[in-house]
Amino acid sequence: MDNLGVFLQIIFWGLYAGCIYILLATGLNLIFGVMKIVNFAHGEFLMVGAYITATIFFLTGINPYLIILLSMLVLIGIGAVVERFCFRPILGTGKLNEIFLSIGLIYIFQNGAAMVWGDSWQSVKSPYDGITVPVGSLFVPLDYILIMIFTAAILCGLYLFLKKTTIGMQMRATSQNRKGAMLVGINVERIDVISFGLGCALAAAAGTLWIVSGQVFNPYMGSIPAIKAFTIIILGGLGSIPGAIIGGLLMGLAENGAAFLLGGIWKDAISFVILIIVLVVRPTGLFGEKGE
Amino acid sequence: MHIKHNEMAKYGIIATLAIAIAIPFLIDSMFILNLLVLMLIFIIFASAWNLLAYSGQGSLGHAAFFGIGAYASTLIAAKSGLSPFITIFLGAAVAAFIGILIGLTCVRLKEWFLAMVTFGFAIIVQTLTVSVLAPVTGGWDGIASSRLLSPSIPGYQLIEYYAVLAITIASITAIWYIMKSRIGLAFLAIRENELEARAAGIDPVHYRLLAFALSAYLAGVAGALEIHHIGYLTPELYGVENSFWPVTYVILGGLGSLAGPVIGTIVLTIIWEGLKATGLTFGRYIIVGIMLILAIIFLPRGLVSLPEQVREWLKRRWKKDPLPETAGG
Repeated sequence: MDNLGVFLQIIFWGLYAGCIYILLATGLNLIFGVMKIVNFAHGEFLMVGAYITATIFFLTGINPYLIILLSMLVLIGIGAVVERFCFRPILGTGKLNEIFLSIGLIYIFQNGAAMVWGDSWQSVKSPYDGITVPVGSLFVPLDYILIMIFTAAILCGLYLFLKKTTIGMQMRATSQNRKGAMLVGINVERIDVISFGLGCALAAAAGTLWIVSGQVFNPYMGSIPAIKAFTIIILGGLGSIPGAIIGGLLMGLAENGAAFLLGGIWKDAISFVILIIVLVVRPTGLFGEKGE
Repeated sequence: MHIKHNEMAKYGIIATLAIAIAIPFLIDSMFILNLLVLMLIFIIFASAWNLLAYSGQGSLGHAAFFGIGAYASTLIAAKSGLSPFITIFLGAAVAAFIGILIGLTCVRLKEWFLAMVTFGFAIIVQTLTVSVLAPVTGGWDGIASSRLLSPSIPGYQLIEYYAVLAITIASITAIWYIMKSRIGLAFLAIRENELEARAAGIDPVHYRLLAFALSAYLAGVAGALEIHHIGYLTPELYGVENSFWPVTYVILGGLGSLAGPVIGTIVLTIIWEGLKATGLTFGRYIIVGIMLILAIIFLPRGLVSLPEQVREWLKRRWKKDPLPETAGG
């Protein structure tokens, strides 16, 4: 195997992993932008989304790429409930409370999933399993390419939603100035619910794409990707969606590079090493932050 | 955290101490004694976490200090042949030193960033333990740790219980002194308003680091005690579970109060073991999660404030007061 081949392989793995992180980080950013809260339990929504897709797939055998929309819809509902009954009562009571509340959510979702679906590792076999596409000297699984296309499509859809629809514009207004938005008659609480639901739907998309690539999953799978997504938005700037996209790709590349150079065990730790180094140099994140 | 009913608190403390001392004679069960020892250890751990939160810093990776104390103490004991009763405090000193190092990166960070860095730090330490440090630490398999007392001593479990109880009382007394001293006031001032604290001549960086060092030290003591009690340690000590438990105990008991971690740990341990008896596995965590969320929303000052809250609710009901009283302090 020549060096170039290895290099390309790492790039492709990185891009693919990056897609998952981008979706997660964008969802977190959406929620942060509008509500100014950070949900540490975001990865649990990824996990639930993955399980919903897997369950429907096991029951019906429909192409898992088609289930993605359904899974996202379910997660909008779950997200709305969580926002309404957990986060809304504590809005504005201090940032530490959000962190603690997320821990409660993590307990509930992880173990709820374990009760419903069991806690063993499972996997889904993609209908395109084993099909590869030649890219230069490399054979890339078709699934990876589909995942990148789906991620791009979802992000474009989100962009159009935020730019063109009334609700999207209301969301942007709320995120820019909450009080101002209230003054012009926007129901900010409704916008909160929608943003939280959309953020969760993006996590469900990430979860679905995660498992269709053949990755194994269990109820505890969500924490680490979510924390990495969180690292990404700290690096890329809280509330900045372009920052999340660039950060997500870089994170995917960095961790796959590190796994190759230092050994697989470092795959998770490397993102935190990067995080700590960056925060030592710049305590406000790479691109600073405008919010609080 | 002023105590309104000083007398009540005093009797509460005396009663708790009396029960703690008498309980091995009341309940003749090695299983429960073992459970009590672990509970005491977690009271130290939760109190350590609470001390850091008292200065406004919420850590999500306290398992790192718990584990570092455990590993350092075990290795020092194995290399030097010293008694675990001495190495516990040496191992905790290592945890405190590393706590200062990680504190250096954290002191200027905001809540979310700090939570992230501490969470990540626990993962980094775990990774280091099973990779680079594996020749010393035994990797994922772990290593044996010398027991606090040799099981050949008759009644060693009883002596161990009282030893751990003494260390717990000493730790809580130390935290009490810290909280009511100038240092504690400085922690509070920083937590409430950093700018004003600075104007009053308090150096936030200095005091935040001190909080990190003290908290890491006590967490290290707790970790070392646990593994010398169990006699074996694995990198699982650094797991998320161990980082989240102290948070759960403290939030439920009452954040920022001295009694909070103690009450939270005792209540939750009883509930936890009670639920275990009913055969629940995953359900236990769900119940704890729901309790945690309910506490955050409806009882933000924890179980410690429950009597006060109940009194207020009753008062309002009797008076049929349509307007809620403005909360003081």
